[in-house]
Amino acid sequence: MKKIMAVIVTSISLIVPVLARQSEQDMTAQPKVRFAPLHIFLDSGNQPLAAFQFELKAAAGKPAPAKAGVKIVGVEGGEHKAFKEAPYYDPAALANDRIIIAAFNTGRELPKGRTRIATVHLQIIGDAEPDYELKLTVAADADAKEIPAKITFETRLGEGLRRSGKGEQK
Amino acid sequence: MTEKKEHFDEDLDLRISPKLSEDLNTLFKPQFSVPPELDRAIMDRANRRLVQRHWRHRVFRHISLWRVAAAAAVIIFAFSLNLTQKPWPSTSRTVLVEAQAVDIDRNGRVDILDAFKLARHVESADRSKTNLSPVSGTVQALRKQEWDINGDGLVNRNDVDLVASAAVRLPAPVLPAQKTQVQLDKGVL
Repeated sequence: MKKIMAVIVTSISLIVPVLARQSEQDMTAQPKVRFAPLHIFLDSGNQPLAAFQFELKAAAGKPAPAKAGVKIVGVEGGEHKAFKEAPYYDPAALANDRIIIAAFNTGRELPKGRTRIATVHLQIIGDAEPDYELKLTVAADADAKEIPAKITFETRLGEGLRRSGKGEQK
Repeated sequence: MTEKKEHFDEDLDLRISPKLSEDLNTLFKPQFSVPPELDRAIMDRANRRLVQRHWRHRVFRHISLWRVAAAAAVIIFAFSLNLTQKPWPSTSRTVLVEAQAVDIDRNGRVDILDAFKLARHVESADRSKTNLSPVSGTVQALRKQEWDINGDGLVNRNDVDLVASAAVRLPAPVLPAQKTQVQLDKGVL
């Protein structure tokens, strides 16, 4: 009986510190979570933009803690009425860090020059600013002919600060 | 002496007289003699049985202690694991209809231009159809049955959506040109 009591007391004395440390870790190790929009711009020069497709990869910025990461949580259309509606994308890309976005418009009123074609909403875990990788798959005019275009992004960093970057064309 | 003391006499002499003892021995003395070897054998067997029981009891107690200790270790291990962190739920792909991706322009790649070209074709055919028969909003007269992606007998916006969905699916599909069965009429597109 004394031995059983000794084992129980020993077990309790071991469990309590482990539980205390666990709860402490849960309290302190939770990384910061924030949400940020990533605006995607496409500059088609003086050509009307009728269709586009691009791929976005977002990765946790460095230095990245263990739990840091980026997740795509939503996709929004662009600023011009031709691309106002939500573009095509794979819903499986949500809660992921990679997405392919595409849209087209068969109408006659099409944007020219630099225009915001989509906004991707991100959930960023950790303090570091994520690294973005943009690849323009294709951009086309009203005749479905491929046109050269430049893809860029812009994101807000805190109060009024902005960060921008360029993508590449495949 | 009181009545109580009569019933519970603590000073009662429990010793028996030598005469009574002698008489009892004579009365209950065994009629035969037990050989000392048999006596010893019985005693040895009894001792062995008792020792075995004693060890069994000790082993059982030992095992019980180990069980308790093992249970405690399992509990500690379970708590040391971060079981509260659950994996992210996988997003279902129900929105995306499993349809055969069609490389409309036969360039070996399914992208938004395939959907765009098909949409332009559908719209132009729809307009011409509407001019003939304003009742119909779909393109039943289309002869491009290869573009009927969902197999509903019509080539319409639903097929365009399927091609567009295939274009943005992860990972990006790349169809070999020889697998495509679409005969493209570039004059129409």
